[in-house]
Amino acid sequence: MRIAILEDDISQTELLSHWLQLAGHNAHAFEQGANLLRALERESFDALLLDWNVPDLSGVEVLKRVRQRLHSSVPVLFVTGRNREDDVVTALREGADDYMIKPVRRLELLARLEALSRRGRHGPEQAEVIELDVFKVDCQTRTVLRNSKQVDLTAKDFDLSVLFLRNVGRLLSRGHIRETVWGPNAVVTSRTLDTHVSRIRNKLGLTPEFGWRLAAVYRYGYRLEHLDAVNAQRAVHSDPKAAA
Amino acid sequence: MTGTRRTNPTEITRDSLQPRVVWLEKDLEQLVTRFLRRKEDELARLRQALSGADFETIRKLGHDLKGAGEGFGFPELSILGAKFELAARAADAELIAVHITTMERYLKRLQVRFD
Repeated sequence: MRIAILEDDISQTELLSHWLQLAGHNAHAFEQGANLLRALERESFDALLLDWNVPDLSGVEVLKRVRQRLHSSVPVLFVTGRNREDDVVTALREGADDYMIKPVRRLELLARLEALSRRGRHGPEQAEVIELDVFKVDCQTRTVLRNSKQVDLTAKDFDLSVLFLRNVGRLLSRGHIRETVWGPNAVVTSRTLDTHVSRIRNKLGLTPEFGWRLAAVYRYGYRLEHLDAVNAQRAVHSDPKAAA
Repeated sequence: MTGTRRTNPTEITRDSLQPRVVWLEKDLEQLVTRFLRRKEDELARLRQALSGADFETIRKLGHDLKGAGEGFGFPELSILGAKFELAARAADAELIAVHITTMERYLKRLQVRFD
């Protein structure tokens, strides 16, 4: 998972990041609430870990803006030293999904994050075999079948396909896609990413005439949409490329 | 006679001279070393804050210590952090001085080993 941490204590940030990285997640740390909010306007995350007391905007203020202004349903876990009942209630009522009081334990934190991730997904997030419409993806053998026929994909195209099929309907930022498919330290140009996206769009038939749309969102990233029959027809008629 | 018994910070007991050995996972070595170095630096900040009656700084340092100590493998530091936080809220300079001495002794006695 790609996880944003809002925390102003450097020791705590280092520890949480270390735990998350050991568990195979990518952690992005923010010391100030305003910086996290700015990042959320151009980047997607699978979960947010919010401390309450940070400089400028408090964690709960960040949470309010995430839910109300950004209309984001990203899972939010509060990790804070504030242990009063009314603090817990306030955070949960403002839209937090879970609340942990510091000091937190590693395995419990990871388990709670996984639980949030499971609850937040309506799609086949962790499944080894994804069956969706005409697609059957086997993550162990790394094969994709479309209408029972195997689609020839490179390793990166396979990873990209899995990422989109596990996140149908969700807007994924370019940074999120790059990090998940190529790894946190890889340098990948926008053009390379666009080329891979275009390739899987063609190979998997992720176009309106087949009931799918892999849409680019300007200056942000991509979203894979599964269109119902009516929308698919509308999209075909409004998209000259799709109709061609 | 008050109900609260306070530790005498100058008291040297047999236990306070014993090393406190903590074993931690090897992959934590760099993180823990940096953490403990920061806590040494924070002792100086705590003393300075106390001399200026800056209880808010003491509260914040205590709050952070409470949050991080146990995660790094030092539950005693989390407990001490909570005590700093409480004493700072009560603006109890005498008690804060006791806690600073306790923290200093704890860090001196601490021997961390990694495997």
